[in-house]
Amino acid sequence: MEKPANPGTIEVPASTAWPFVLAVGVMLLFAGIVTSMAVSALGAVLSVAATVGWFREVLPREREEFAPVIPESIRLTTERRVVERFPVATDQVRAWLPVHTYPISAGVKGGLAGSVAMAVLACTYGVLKAGSIWYPINLLAGVVYSESLRLPGRLYSFHASSFGIALLLHGVVSLLVGLLYGAMLPMFPRRPILLGGMVVPVLWSGLLYTILGLLNPLLASHIDWFWFIASQVAFGIVAGFVVVRQSRIRTRENVPFAMRAGVEAPGLIPPRESEDKRQ
Amino acid sequence: MSSDAITMPGVNIDDRAWVDVLHRWLTTVDHKRLGILYILYALFFLLVAGAEALIIRIQLIHSHNDFVSPQVFNRMFTMHGTTMIFFVVMPVLFGFANYLVPLMIGARDMAFPRLNAFSFWLTALGGFLLYFSFVGANGLYGAGNAPDVGWWAYAPLTARAFSPGHSSDYWTLALLVSGFGSIGTAINIIATILCLRCPGMTLNRMPLFAWLNLVMSGLVLIALTPLSAAQIMLLIDRYLGGHFFDAQAGGSAALWMHFFWIFGHPEVYILIIPAFAFMSEIIPVFSRKPIFGYPIMVAATIAIGFVSMSVWAHHLFTIGMSSYANSFFTITSMVIGVPTGIKIFNWLGTMWGGKIQFKVPMLFCIGFLFQFLIGGLTGIMQATAPVDWQLSLSYFVVAHFHYIIVGGIIFALFAAFYYWYPKITGRMLSETLGKWHFWLFLIGFHLTFDLMHIPGLLGMPRRIYTYEPGRGWDTLNLLITVGAFIQGIAIMIFVANLVISYFKGDVAGNDPWDAWTLEWSVSSPPPAYNFATIPVVESRRPLWDVKHPEDPDSRYE
Amino acid sequence: MTAIPIPFPQRPETWNLPYRGKVAMASLIIGESAIFTIFVVAYLFYLGKSVSGPTPREVLTPPILFTIFLLSSSATIHFATRFLERNKVGPFLGFWLFTIALGASFLYGTAREWQRLIYGHGLTISTNLFGTTYYSLVGLHAFHVSVGLVMLCLVAIFTMLGGVDSEQSRRVGVLSMYWHFVDAVWVVVFTVVYIVGR
Repeated sequence: MEKPANPGTIEVPASTAWPFVLAVGVMLLFAGIVTSMAVSALGAVLSVAATVGWFREVLPREREEFAPVIPESIRLTTERRVVERFPVATDQVRAWLPVHTYPISAGVKGGLAGSVAMAVLACTYGVLKAGSIWYPINLLAGVVYSESLRLPGRLYSFHASSFGIALLLHGVVSLLVGLLYGAMLPMFPRRPILLGGMVVPVLWSGLLYTILGLLNPLLASHIDWFWFIASQVAFGIVAGFVVVRQSRIRTRENVPFAMRAGVEAPGLIPPRESEDKRQ
Repeated sequence: MSSDAITMPGVNIDDRAWVDVLHRWLTTVDHKRLGILYILYALFFLLVAGAEALIIRIQLIHSHNDFVSPQVFNRMFTMHGTTMIFFVVMPVLFGFANYLVPLMIGARDMAFPRLNAFSFWLTALGGFLLYFSFVGANGLYGAGNAPDVGWWAYAPLTARAFSPGHSSDYWTLALLVSGFGSIGTAINIIATILCLRCPGMTLNRMPLFAWLNLVMSGLVLIALTPLSAAQIMLLIDRYLGGHFFDAQAGGSAALWMHFFWIFGHPEVYILIIPAFAFMSEIIPVFSRKPIFGYPIMVAATIAIGFVSMSVWAHHLFTIGMSSYANSFFTITSMVIGVPTGIKIFNWLGTMWGGKIQFKVPMLFCIGFLFQFLIGGLTGIMQATAPVDWQLSLSYFVVAHFHYIIVGGIIFALFAAFYYWYPKITGRMLSETLGKWHFWLFLIGFHLTFDLMHIPGLLGMPRRIYTYEPGRGWDTLNLLITVGAFIQGIAIMIFVANLVISYFKGDVAGNDPWDAWTLEWSVSSPPPAYNFATIPVVESRRPLWDVKHPEDPDSRYE
Repeated sequence: MTAIPIPFPQRPETWNLPYRGKVAMASLIIGESAIFTIFVVAYLFYLGKSVSGPTPREVLTPPILFTIFLLSSSATIHFATRFLERNKVGPFLGFWLFTIALGASFLYGTAREWQRLIYGHGLTISTNLFGTTYYSLVGLHAFHVSVGLVMLCLVAIFTMLGGVDSEQSRRVGVLSMYWHFVDAVWVVVFTVVYIVGR
């Protein structure tokens, strides 16, 4: 913005009636279609006149007027001097949370450990209650493989297809849930085992208990919910326990983008921590 | 403080001054005055369209009612929808954008002040042209006949044979004229945001309000123009004997539906994105925390903008598209819930752990969060083609989109009114009246629109003139109408608050909310030139930096 | 609690923002593209759906000469604005008038074609779907050419009156953006109507 021509005033665009007249003209031009040609004609005349007027307003350069500067005393202060802070890190006033997180390998390990615990418990159930170790495996395959549930007797014997599907499903889902635990447990600093091991599996089981009857009633009729919840909780506790046992690493949210991306940028800004120490 | 920036017609007694004031407002090119004009114009039509809604509700209060004739009923729901979308919500959002965008980015005016005035007057006169149809639609020599073909004006209802006279033409022309105005304003907002930012205000430091209005204006450009194109086709059909939507000559009524909804669905996002913008400015201030996840908010908005261009046909599941088209539009409609959900989480993240102040603007924001979530969830339900086959064209749909438009957009608008009224007038709105307004409106809203889902599920079709008794609809409809009247009373309290506080409200000062964006650094109301010296910014919260020089944001961004 | 005299930090050394006219014209072009897209979609959707003749294959011949005229006017207007930027008003006016002549001859070509279609083949906008979509699409483009020509003529008149020099070159540049857009649209319309549509 340029400096005003004379001090004490500021250039602002001059008021003009032509935009208004042109709008009336255009509106009448269209309104004539539904009323009479005379209205359109009037609209056309107004539009042309207003266009000419508008051009004279902006050519060769926009007309402006000078608005006097009104002296004002603006106070930009706040009563709220005290800023409450979480003690996030010893060397930082502000930081992106969480400051520390678990490495991705922690989630993988947790997921795999949890999957073993869950499988052991489920197979125990199969042997003790259902009378066949293949029973829970065939049920799991039945989530996506309807053949597995087709005949009641089929649930109690070994089938390579069901076994493969169940193994794949169990492995992938366990791995994903483990990764989720690795990402989320640092966000919930208090009692991660209770939350991850108990609350989440119970909520998840509750959700399935209420809707599985609608989604897949045949599958739901074969499930023993006590053992189902027990194996879910076993997964949660083992996975959560393994995850929190891993050592934490610093998140890289607090370093500049160029460093995170590994770009060799010239004059890369030093990390924020050192900047704070200087001041 | 410049007193003339807020003088309204009727305040002065002197005759000559009256003319002067009128002249000043008609010829103004100041973005603040045009913003106020937009807002006042929209408030006027809010009352008009609200009255039409009440007429609809009175007609439906019990079975076999004949409060108005079926013809009038058709006009009422057509005019209610058209007015609310085009002459209430769009102008009021443009008004706030006009008023606030230059102030927030440290500019002295919009990029094209004269175009700005032209756009406003086009929009405004378009609205008056639409309402002139009540007296003039038969060509000045018959009884008036307002448009009665529904706000989406499906073919072949608009064909000459089924809509004789000029009522449909008034609908077309009024929207065409006001559409040109909207396109002009959108261009203006884009040029202002891209070209007039004050030094230091990089795109990465712009207030979210400016970002969201930039995306909204881009959507106006690519979404409103298809409507204009379709309306030109309709005019060609009606006046030049064309066959675009004339099935007897090989034309297709479904093509109009596609063209209309290519406009119609992005339009919903054009309306809701500025509401998001209000949320993103107001929630941080009343939570005393910076916005959570600024870059993600911008990214989510842009994602919504893009995805909104490919969801339109979820309005057309019932016209018999291929199963691939149905699947595609089901998936895109669900996908758009993801960035929207991200936004809700970010607002919650902003409030989480904050020192929340339950002032009236914040109350409306909290109401918005709940209602927008519920409205979004019923939207996801209907995005599923089989559910939509069941529910399409029922009162369930009406309840759903009113949940978004009233429970979402209008609540956000009220929040914006309570938040920025002090900046615009220099006076605070009364908190007491504001709380009455909020609670009454909340109760009325839920009474009306929560219950409205049920007759929809029971099979009550939308736009129905009346219904048989004994279908379980009677009591519900009675309660819905009662709720509508409660909302009407709340709106009256709001209008009274606007008027009373203008004369008797507490003096606001330049920064009543202890906020962080640039508009609060100038006096209330701002002088004609906005900023005596153009500010320079170094962070997303320039006033925080000024107020806390020992701990500025600029050190961390 | 003292008022801070100069509350804001120092302005950055370089602060360049795009020219508002260019941004606005780019926005307008985006909007116009959407309008043309809708008309093109309608044209393509209704190809071969007319219930009566004449069909495009029977009556349309590609106006290759006039297309060359219009497309070459993009080059001449480009040279004209270049001259204006260097404040060479004489050559600017020459190229500018040449652009107008090319644009006007294109409009003449369209008019001749319409005359042939209407009086020679009896094809009007209400004859069949082909007529409706053809006249509205080509007519919409011709309308944009006409608006552009009026603006070009105004600039020519102002130049002759001595009101245009390099100071105005940015504004003239914005107008030339519009003209390039009109030419680009013709490439699409030509392809759709005279190549795909036949």
